[in-house]
Amino acid sequence: MSASSSAGRSSRALVITLVLGAASASLYVLLFFFSDRLTELARLTREGDKLYALVPLAVAVVFSFIHGAFTGHFWDLLGLRAKK
Amino acid sequence: METINFIDLTWTSTLILFLVGFVGGMVSGFIGSGGAFVLTPAMMSMGVPGVVAVASNMAHKFPKALVGAHKRHKYGQVDIKLGIVMGIFAEAGVLFGKHVMVDIREAFGAAGTNLYVSAVFVVVLGIVGGFVLRDALRERRGEAAKTSQTKELTPLVRWVRSIEIPGTMLYFKSMDARVSFLILAPLGFATGLLAATIAVGGFIGVPAMMYILGLPALTASATELVIAFVMGLGGSLFYALDGFVDIRLSMIILAGSLFGIQIGAIGTTYVKDYVVKFVMAAIMLLVLVSRFFYIPGYLSELGAIETLEPGTRGWLDGIGEGALVFALLFGALMILQALYKGMQEHRLAVAAAAPALGPTPVTEGVGAQLSPVGRFERFLVASDGSEFSGAAVREAIGMATKCGAQVHVMSLVAPGVEHEALGESILKQELEMAQSHLDGIKAQADAAGVACETHLVQGNQIHEEIVDLADRVKADVIIMGRRGRRGLARLMLGHATAQVIGQAHCNVLVVPRAAQVEGRHIVLATDGSRFADTAAVTAGALARVCKTPVTVVSVTTDEQSQEVRVETARTVDRVVALMRSDGTTVEGKVLHGEPASAITGVAQESQADLIVTGSHGRTGLERVLIGSTSERILNDTQCAVLVVKAA
Repeated sequence: MSASSSAGRSSRALVITLVLGAASASLYVLLFFFSDRLTELARLTREGDKLYALVPLAVAVVFSFIHGAFTGHFWDLLGLRAKK
Repeated sequence: METINFIDLTWTSTLILFLVGFVGGMVSGFIGSGGAFVLTPAMMSMGVPGVVAVASNMAHKFPKALVGAHKRHKYGQVDIKLGIVMGIFAEAGVLFGKHVMVDIREAFGAAGTNLYVSAVFVVVLGIVGGFVLRDALRERRGEAAKTSQTKELTPLVRWVRSIEIPGTMLYFKSMDARVSFLILAPLGFATGLLAATIAVGGFIGVPAMMYILGLPALTASATELVIAFVMGLGGSLFYALDGFVDIRLSMIILAGSLFGIQIGAIGTTYVKDYVVKFVMAAIMLLVLVSRFFYIPGYLSELGAIETLEPGTRGWLDGIGEGALVFALLFGALMILQALYKGMQEHRLAVAAAAPALGPTPVTEGVGAQLSPVGRFERFLVASDGSEFSGAAVREAIGMATKCGAQVHVMSLVAPGVEHEALGESILKQELEMAQSHLDGIKAQADAAGVACETHLVQGNQIHEEIVDLADRVKADVIIMGRRGRRGLARLMLGHATAQVIGQAHCNVLVVPRAAQVEGRHIVLATDGSRFADTAAVTAGALARVCKTPVTVVSVTTDEQSQEVRVETARTVDRVVALMRSDGTTVEGKVLHGEPASAITGVAQESQADLIVTGSHGRTGLERVLIGSTSERILNDTQCAVLVVKAA
């Protein structure tokens, strides 16, 4: 493999990992920022506003996809690979 | 009904949850089973009510199961029909389990559900942990259970498949058999019931599919992901509707567990199977002990036994907490130690083997060509074991026989988050399956007298791994399959194939399933660009070597000026003259209309088995990279297409 393509690939992988990492970190900042509100929504759901039940499900899906993609790229970047 | 109080999130509790998630994820990735049997008790030990712990654990599992099921489906490992049927019955089990939980909570309060969850944990972990420990001891003594490895069906599976209940029979592809849905109903229901009770359904689902329905371990594990998604989504919704999901806890646990899962899953590939089972059994039995010591406290709260002295309660809870912490630390240390030791040994073994491997030999045959444009000495064929890549493998070996080329075959395994939700160590199974697939291809190549090297690659970006390996082995041509012929253009060509063509530094041969490159006739598509000139040189070299007639085609369109049309005709004449001077039988055609359909039409008329076309540069979107005409040709034609990269 040429040195330039290898370096290009590494920097692309680094950029993707950093972007996903930043997106994931932003999600967690928002989670802590709205922590009380989320607890409040669960209470309101218990009291009858059933539509709020969709909020935790949506949160779970978004976090899983973004953070899952980030951790996958993170370990790949660090070279953690299975034995063949 | 007692009110539900979510725990306060402090920096300490957040950090503990993250670490618990990390270790739990690592453990679950290692033992290949849902980590909730560690996470649920850990959350309960932090003061989270049992029902909230179960609900919150379900909420972070179903999206992971969805990602996993989608990926496994692409690899053809999932029986969707079976997953959905079992998932629907599992959903009923979840609904029933959730009602039991809520009823217990209404009747006895939080202590009631805590006792219920803990008691179920003790029973289930006792049974499953005991079996796993027995298996580990047997395997260590060399008496490994062969049932899952052999293709012979057990008497139980044969009996289950022989039951005929009219009006209830369903055919399942994974079993190639018809099974009554009345058999599947209790299996699915029990899976869902357990999932709603302790957030781990795989303990029933996977073994049931393997030992009762006779599915291979990998298909059972992959199909379990569909069940996990269906029941996880439903279960999470049912619990969320009652306000039991503390999404803050779920997401913090998720943050840590996603980091841990891959360490655990990769760790399994460095140790023997029985080591994984020993660790699994040890953790299960430690968690059992932990939950067991909490039970007197809950019984005391319910008034079922004498009220415990605060000191005694603290002492018992302390043992429970200690056992859990010990289980987590023990699991983490065992995995990290196994991973470290295994990686060291692997590195030493690779270093020791390195001097024995010489540089890749250049084979005889067409060989020793100086121009990289028309060189066919090393082929790289990407195979995922599907029927689509089967054609690529077949043609690679066939062409290598004619050209005397060396064939490199690669298969890709992509580790992912779904490894958490499985009942078996799927990564290890998958690596073994991919290696055995590669070994099969190598045997085919050996039989044909073709030099062949196999490469088992791991990574998430398929196209990058292919291009990277092609560079490393200095491949002259990458040979890939193509998916079906209908639908959207991008889907037809296959995203990975399009990206490889866009980013590869060498030529790419795309082989549809039914195509056979026999050297009957070559159609060269040219538009007079420098990319097309490179394609012309390559087509010329091929035609010379294989003594194949060529038709040079160029297509003008309504938008083009008269000058352009005249220039197009000159280009065709120039290429024809060049090839003729090399002794190739060649004719030129200038057509008018839509370029891709005109070119594929010529290929069909002349019964060509290969279309050669140029490709644009190497950066940007793949559609731009390949060129829209080349992409349409790739999608429309039934014969192989060689996309020549500009030198």
